Amino acid sequence: MALYPGMSATQAGPLNNGSSSQYQMSAPEKVAASASEPVSVDTTMEPSKIVVNGLNFHYGKYHALQDINIKIPEKKVTAFIGPSGCGKSTLLRTMNRIYELYPDQRASGEILLDGRNVLDRKQDLNLLRAKVGMVFQKPTPFPMSVFENVAFGVKLYERLSRVDMEERVEWALRKAALWDEVKDKLHQGGTRLSGGQQQRLCIARGIAVKPEVLLLDEPASALDPISTLKIEELINELKNDYTIVIVTHNMQQASRVSDYTAFMYLGELVEFDDTTTIFTTPANKQTEDYITGRYG
Amino acid sequence: MNASLYLRRRLTNYFNLTVSVLTTLFGLFWLGWLLWTLFSNGLQWISLDLFTQSTPPPGEAGGLANAIVGSVLLTVVGVLIGAPAGVLAGTYLCEFGRGSRFASVVRFVNDILLSAPSIIIGVFVYGLIVINVGHFSGWAGGVALALIVLPVVVRTTEDMLQLVPDHMREAAAALGAPQWKVVSAIVYRAAARGIATGILLGIARISGETAPLLFTALNNQFWTTDMSQPMSNLPVVIFQFAMSPYDDWQHLAWAGSLLITVTILLLNIIARIWLRESK
Amino acid sequence: MSTELTTDGSVPTTDTRSGSSGHLADKAFRGLTQFFALLVALSVLGVFVTLLVGAWPALEKYGFFNFLTTNDWNPVTDVYGAVAPIYGTLVTSLLALLIGVPVSFGIALFITELAPVWLKRPIGVAIELLAAVPSIIYGMWGLFVFAPWFSENVQPWMTDNLGGWPLIGSLFQGPPMGIGMFTAGLILAIMIIPFMAAVMRDVFETVPPVYKESAYGLGGTTWEVVWKVVLPYTKIGVVGGVMLGLGRALGETMAVTFVIGNSHNVSGSLFMPGNTISSTLANEFTEAAGEIYTSSLISLGLVLFLLTFIVLAIAKVMLIRLKAKEGKAS
Repeated sequence: MALYPGMSATQAGPLNNGSSSQYQMSAPEKVAASASEPVSVDTTMEPSKIVVNGLNFHYGKYHALQDINIKIPEKKVTAFIGPSGCGKSTLLRTMNRIYELYPDQRASGEILLDGRNVLDRKQDLNLLRAKVGMVFQKPTPFPMSVFENVAFGVKLYERLSRVDMEERVEWALRKAALWDEVKDKLHQGGTRLSGGQQQRLCIARGIAVKPEVLLLDEPASALDPISTLKIEELINELKNDYTIVIVTHNMQQASRVSDYTAFMYLGELVEFDDTTTIFTTPANKQTEDYITGRYG
Repeated sequence: MNASLYLRRRLTNYFNLTVSVLTTLFGLFWLGWLLWTLFSNGLQWISLDLFTQSTPPPGEAGGLANAIVGSVLLTVVGVLIGAPAGVLAGTYLCEFGRGSRFASVVRFVNDILLSAPSIIIGVFVYGLIVINVGHFSGWAGGVALALIVLPVVVRTTEDMLQLVPDHMREAAAALGAPQWKVVSAIVYRAAARGIATGILLGIARISGETAPLLFTALNNQFWTTDMSQPMSNLPVVIFQFAMSPYDDWQHLAWAGSLLITVTILLLNIIARIWLRESK
Repeated sequence: MSTELTTDGSVPTTDTRSGSSGHLADKAFRGLTQFFALLVALSVLGVFVTLLVGAWPALEKYGFFNFLTTNDWNPVTDVYGAVAPIYGTLVTSLLALLIGVPVSFGIALFITELAPVWLKRPIGVAIELLAAVPSIIYGMWGLFVFAPWFSENVQPWMTDNLGGWPLIGSLFQGPPMGIGMFTAGLILAIMIIPFMAAVMRDVFETVPPVYKESAYGLGGTTWEVVWKVVLPYTKIGVVGGVMLGLGRALGETMAVTFVIGNSHNVSGSLFMPGNTISSTLANEFTEAAGEIYTSSLISLGLVLFLLTFIVLAIAKVMLIRLKAKEGKAS
């Protein structure tokens, strides 16, 4: 299986002869870069917020992630794309160690957040998660009011007066572009909102804790196109303040919202580059096949 | 096409489906007959005295006040002990014990307790408390009832917590909530109605239990709220009075039966409505 | 705690965030729930030990198997054997299954396949309410209403028409008293029908619609679909439901105590009075005088506990086996 960028890149030349001169020009550089360090493709000049080194992940005996190396730039949107089962969600779920809720899942290697390894046993999980927020595929409003939903996470780590809390909730809801829609029903159940509103409520809930990183796991896949658009606009807004990592199976979405894109396949990171490059001139044959829809 | 084969298949079908309808009517028939018996025999003896007077000696007028109060007290004690213990044990099974050997042992043992005959629970509490204390008491009755509520609540709690989707737990944990907070603030709240329904069904179950009280709370002819003494309760009074040759006592037994059945059926119906609303 | 974390290279605690007090509280919470889980296990162990200790004097005197095989129950001579109550318990429970299983199956079939949608719920609820009626009510109704009616209208007919049959005829001999093992078995059947019907209905509803659709698509009748597709698919659950019903029937006390006649007597006829373990306990436990008498009664309780335990264990083992078989097949 030609899964390593280095291996396939050597084939890429002859196989793609005459397909695109643009492609040919950018390819050699990447071959060189990836040959020395097969999977870590650092094309970013940005400061990194998260650096993943040699990460392996197991579900029981199944080896789900193999030697992942990636640098997530600060205050940018990074998208993980790839066919289902490629490990993109798994990679995301290592970054706040949410996988540890399940006893048979384990990760090894290094994930440096601001230079500190979060996989370290001594890492306080709850503090890590307060710093690295997450939004899930399905909206997960808690069975309580809109206000309480947003306040829930805040109350875990801060003691705020009522007024301060109200301010914080409003701030978070405004950030999540939901305030105008819910300001009159703050004390209604969160589950009574529409699906798109629920998802933005979950984003507001995540923001309210003032995290530094937001992990979005296919945040729009369960939503209608209009709600999806709103979420995408929101992501664009939020990247000014947060480092955002988004998993999506929707390539258009990745190209619309992200600055950097990583393509994963069968548990390996195949290619990582700025989004424009990935979508116009990918260095790797597999990436190209996926982008052009040849994986089906 | 083989016409006679087809005809035979159709006839078999009609015959069996008719039988199926009849079996359903058979089931409903007994419910109807039971309720009719209760109302026709019990309704005429329901009066204010029933709730204000204590159980009489044979041949005198009286009521069931002491038995009603006793039943309520025993049930309350049973639920106050059994329900919290059951909720916590059920929480362990669902939240901490997934895939653990200890949890599967507890799950199996809980099923044994659930299907253990209630009279055995009575014998157990008799041996555990009555013999050691030296006399029958309300406390012993309450403990016996608690042991009957316990497995019901353990089972429903585990089932209901399992219905709470894992992504709810993930979402709470992803905000940095420690596990006890995830369970107490989010999971319990999401499953609250289901757990409450389980407790309600547990109450319905024990308010008619007779067998375990025979050897524990026994009975008491007089008004008492002292749990350390033998305590009157509806089921045992009904049993004694129904088996007696005295008309007055039998009338009280019918009135008590109606009372207890209506209460239990109402509890069941409320529980069902709750559960349906929560879905 | 938080300062310690920052020095060993973890995420520093920032601004107003208080350090996590989660670890200790998490441990405490886990410990608390585990304690109560343990309590459940201990209470069952306690039941077993208490019964064993209580039963010891009698078992020591008679020996376990001797106790099981002696057909004598006499407080006057202080000799006790368990044959009659065990016989009564098994006969009434089997009778209850014989009547209850087909009826429960019919009800479950009606609710899942035949009833119009608006009728499904009310009928389901009505059948479940049948299970909620306390057993003492069944007992009173059985003794005062059903038994007289039965002895006048049904029993003579059964003796006349079934009593002459070979083999099973002797089951229906005897004076029409109304009470007896047949009445007890019938009332037990009514009491366990709701449990079994509810389980069967629930498992029938787990059959994926495609299975039924494809069978109907071949031109199968409703009966054929249920008998050849639904039932084989759900047999695990059906067996489980039947075992649940059997467990109930074995241990049911009050209803039986009212109608079985309470005599320590092994009779070939179902119309004769008998006794079950639980009715013996209910009648005699508080009045038992003397250590051996009480101990013999507790021994009966131990036998009953073991019986229900075995039934449950069989149900569980069957479930595991059938599941394993299914796993191999697919």
